[in-house]
Order: sequence, then structure tokens, then C-alpha cells
Amino acid sequence: MFRLQGSKTLAVDLTGDAVKAKNGSMVAYDGRMAFKKMSGGGEGLRGMVTRRLTGEQMEMMEVKGQGTCYFADRASEINLVSLHGEKLHVEASNLLATDAGLRTGTTFTGLRGGASGNGLFTTTVEGTGQAAIMSDGSAVVLRVTPQYPLNVDPGAYIAHQGRLQQHLQSGVNFRTLMGEGSGESFQIRFEGDGLVYVQPSERNTVGGDV
Amino acid sequence: MPFREINSKMVEAVVEPGRTMYSQRGAMLAYRGDVSFTPNIQGGQGGLGSMIGRRVANEAAPLMTVEGSGTVMFGHGGHHIQVINLAGDTLYVEADRLLAFDGTLQQGTMFMGSQGGVMGMVRGQVTGQGLFTTTLKGHGAVAVMAHGGVIELPITQGRPVHVDPQAYVAHHGAVTNKLSTALGWRDMVGRGSGEAFQLELSGNGAVYVQASEEKL
Repeated sequence: MFRLQGSKTLAVDLTGDAVKAKNGSMVAYDGRMAFKKMSGGGEGLRGMVTRRLTGEQMEMMEVKGQGTCYFADRASEINLVSLHGEKLHVEASNLLATDAGLRTGTTFTGLRGGASGNGLFTTTVEGTGQAAIMSDGSAVVLRVTPQYPLNVDPGAYIAHQGRLQQHLQSGVNFRTLMGEGSGESFQIRFEGDGLVYVQPSERNTVGGDV
Repeated sequence: MPFREINSKMVEAVVEPGRTMYSQRGAMLAYRGDVSFTPNIQGGQGGLGSMIGRRVANEAAPLMTVEGSGTVMFGHGGHHIQVINLAGDTLYVEADRLLAFDGTLQQGTMFMGSQGGVMGMVRGQVTGQGLFTTTLKGHGAVAVMAHGGVIELPITQGRPVHVDPQAYVAHHGAVTNKLSTALGWRDMVGRGSGEAFQLELSGNGAVYVQASEEKL
């Protein structure tokens, strides 16, 4: 079971079961634990090939044992997400831990990836269970409905779930080319029905410079 | 309670005549009243002998003596501050993590090798803590800095706690610690889980762990 110890430390109680977590993110544990590196980006040979090809580096480890294990990474804020059979799309660098029962994979994101500074691929988490995602500052969860689409700065986007279509919007115009851009020339537009997680901080992105 | 937490990154301390404090040099943010700050070449208390000891041990954090009457606010580098109250037991902490502490506490230096022998020395090297660590003993309060929030994990008999050496902040109580390795063939071929070294703390007391694996 996942629970938060403060806002920056994730505590996971294990009773012989396993949990997947970002490599090297354990800060403390009591009881007995074993750590084993996993091949991220999906299981098996296919996952390995995809990982190599996509460059979506997700170094994960499997933690198994009895007791309580504590995870944290560079003092990032941690958000818990419960999944009931749906799919969560998250940037690999923002994924801290998932239940062992959840499947992780890699999908193509199109142009958006290039603009958000995270490459052209993103990580998906699918199944029923809990996942912990990290954000720089406390994240807000924004609801998207067919009537209310949402535009997000690619650098502030961390994850989304639900039935959403996304495409990259650009506001590049004459002014941008003259070097008078507002720094908001690219946005990701989400349409459909679902949730988007946004952090109050922006990664360095190509889009942020123009 | 000499320390009052203003927020997670600032503490306020009361100084009175006859009640001095030690703090890291330059950690004062503001003060009220008549307070003087004296740089302390001895790097704490204990006279010349312990000063040389600390120099040799490279555990000489630049400290200053805070005296007078008034209130002083401390903070440093935007780091989170954890106030630890000691009731007669000993706190083990890295000198550069010390923000401020009561003058009534007895400061000392501990050789890593005296706790765990050769393995203790290896541990100091692996964790980047060096061969020596600072001890504070007595009754009083200590303000310790950490990157990110701090959680306190109790250690009880028969229930040891394992800590990532980089996330370890401090511990107190009757605790023995040793470096445990979980090096397997996977680590040798570069497929380690990143958790090859752990500190195992057992006994009675508490350990403080920060929510980050970065040094200060």
C-alpha cells in the first residue's frame, strides 16, 4: 500500500509482494528487502528493443520483501494516482513507483515530445493499482471535458489519464521570428475526457525559448 | 524549547545571558535585541586539544558563538531544518549539516573506525562522510539541515532500519550502524539497482532521513 510520509517521501508497506520504483530512489527501509534492476520501458525482449530505439530511458528496479520501504528523489513532491484499468501517460523522469501489477510500456507522442523536452516517446502505466508520480512543486490536477479543452505548457506537463487526444499548438508568428516571442509559442492541447497533471514549474524546453 | 520553527526553513532561537548558542557561521538571518556573534576559531567547544582534533579530522565546520539577550533567526541555503531535542543521549551528525545548537550540549568528534572497525572506515569513504563525524551529547536542542523534508524513523530492538547512505542525515540513541553491501553479479556487469550500499542501523533510537539523495 502506498502512503505519503510528508509530501516528499513515499512509504510503501510490503508483505512479501513487490513494487517497481525508479532506480536508486530508496532512501530507507525496515524489515527485509531485496532490490533488483528491471528493464524499463516494457517487459521482455520487445520492451528492450523499444527502449533502445526510443531512448525513453526508464531505469526501474523491483523491490520485494517484508516491511516498509521509503522512496524519495531529489526532494520532488509526490502525487499518488489510483488506476482502475485505465492508462496513465507520464514522462519517464516523473515516474517514481508503481504497483508491481501495473504494466509499463512506451508510446509515441508525436511532435509534442520534442517540444516538451522529453523526447518523442512517453511512458504508459496500465492496469489496476497505484502509481506515484513526481513533480517540481505540488502538482494540480485539471479536468478536461469535451466542452472544456485544456492547453498546457509542454514544460509544465507531467502526466495525463483518460480518453484524451492531444496535439501540439504553435503560436509562432511574425513577432516570434523577430525574436519578440512571449516564451509561450507552443502548447499542448488536450481534448476529450480525462485528467491532466501540471506542475508549477517549467522544464527547459525548445518551446520555452521562442 | 530554545528553537521555535517559523516555517520549514527558518528557526527562531532565544538567547539569554548565561545561555549561549553555537551556530554555523553566516547562518544568522535576523535578530532582535542585543546579540553578539563571535567567530569561533576553535570550531566549537572543548579547548585547544579538541580543536586540533577537529582540524585533523576535517570536521571543523566554521562555527560562531551567539551570546547576549534577544531572539535570533537562523536559516541557510533554503535547506529544510529539523529540530532534534536531546534528552541525555548522543546525536551523530555531519558537521556541515549543523545549523545551530544549544551551548549546553557537549560537542565531540567520533572516529568512524571506532564504530564498526574497518567497515566503519569504508563506510565513511563510501558515504562521503569522511573518517570522522561530529557528536553532540547532553540535554538541549539541535537544528539540523537537510535537502528536502526530513522523516524520523524509530529504531527498536529487533527491527533494524536500512538507510541509503546519501539520504542519511543524523541519528541518535544507542544505535550501532554498519555498512551492509548487497553487491551481486548484477552490479558487476553494470546492471545494479542503484542500492548496492546501505547503512544498517540497529538498537534503540531514531534515524533522520532526507527526501533526497543529494548532499548539501
